[in-house]
Amino acid sequence: MSDPRSAGPVRSAPPAAPAPPPADPVVEGSPAFAHASEAELSRILDFYEVRWEYEPHVFPILWNTDGDVLESFAPDFYLPDLDLYVEMTTLRQKLVRKKNRKLRRLRELYPDVRIKLFYARDFQALMLKYGRLALAEELSGSSGQVTPDRPYEELLAGPLEPSADDGDPGDPPPDPATAAPGAPAPATRRRRRRRSPVARPPVAAEVTER
Amino acid sequence: MRTPVDLHADVAEVLVSEDAIQARVRELGARISDDYRGKNLTLVSVLKGSLPFMADLMRAIDVPVRIDLMEVSSYGGTTTESSGLVRILKDLSASIAGEHVLLVEDIIDTGLTLNYLIRYLRGKNPASLRICTLLDKPARRLVEIPVDYTGFSIEDRFVVGYGLDYGELYRNLRFVGVLRPEVYSAGS
Repeated sequence: MSDPRSAGPVRSAPPAAPAPPPADPVVEGSPAFAHASEAELSRILDFYEVRWEYEPHVFPILWNTDGDVLESFAPDFYLPDLDLYVEMTTLRQKLVRKKNRKLRRLRELYPDVRIKLFYARDFQALMLKYGRLALAEELSGSSGQVTPDRPYEELLAGPLEPSADDGDPGDPPPDPATAAPGAPAPATRRRRRRRSPVARPPVAAEVTER
Repeated sequence: MRTPVDLHADVAEVLVSEDAIQARVRELGARISDDYRGKNLTLVSVLKGSLPFMADLMRAIDVPVRIDLMEVSSYGGTTTESSGLVRILKDLSASIAGEHVLLVEDIIDTGLTLNYLIRYLRGKNPASLRICTLLDKPARRLVEIPVDYTGFSIEDRFVVGYGLDYGELYRNLRFVGVLRPEVYSAGS
């Protein structure tokens, strides 16, 4: 059997079945961001004319003995001109262990892949630099999660009560035996991700460079 | 009316002292003088933060040098009033074609602004283009850009002074310091 890793990253694709529900309206050219901080970063990259792609590649990071992919990792952004992936994780530091583990695994398996992890503190520092610290505090962690009934514009108005996990498109399917009672299944979150566009606000203000 | 600010009281820690800055600027000036001897050197400063560094650095260089100033817009969030793209607010006042250009920055963190400026300046056909920065925050780098002359590599903290501002203040401090967090928390 050939090594499944040799295939490299695979393109993101919607699940074959069941068919996804009809998509919400999306601003032309704007992907459905899972978190408002991702939308904010996309706007910063746009402002500085840095090309980006949203979750274009999925990297398998764990296989069973039959070669089936058990776990994968889809970095949030790919910056083609810089050949750099960027993963945003705006959760509180103590909750990012799982993502750190995935990142370590990715780096072991794909040493040539350049990836930058943006922690909550990095995002806050970025917002502080641009005079938008208050926004960073509102958008950090689960309070920045986008849901069908809570689009990006509403997130700017105020945070929700935080929850504990932000999920990841590369997460394995949930184990019903171990899932916390009442916890949303990753599959549900993924469908939300695809259905919940965070429309990039149209334009950004400009202020004098520091 | 603006609320009075006690500049020094708002600083929690002096990260780079005035003496250390001046000593390092002299070293950089000597290196740059050696590297550019016999060449047409133009220093390009990016307003506003690099003004004090530019003023000191140009006087520490002992070869003939021209200076020019640029200003670019910075990301500032949501509005409906502008194009949403970085813009040159003040362009060079003279051609740099065939000149050896040294871009003088106050601080490099993400590298996004610098990346834009480099692309812009390369389009003006200088003989060479190098980067000099007083402060470098490599931990924050998003765009990897080789820096030719670095004053100080600093840890990932929000700094003010010696040209660097918070809310347009603190630029006139003679050192680089770390603001008390309550200053920007209150301001947010």
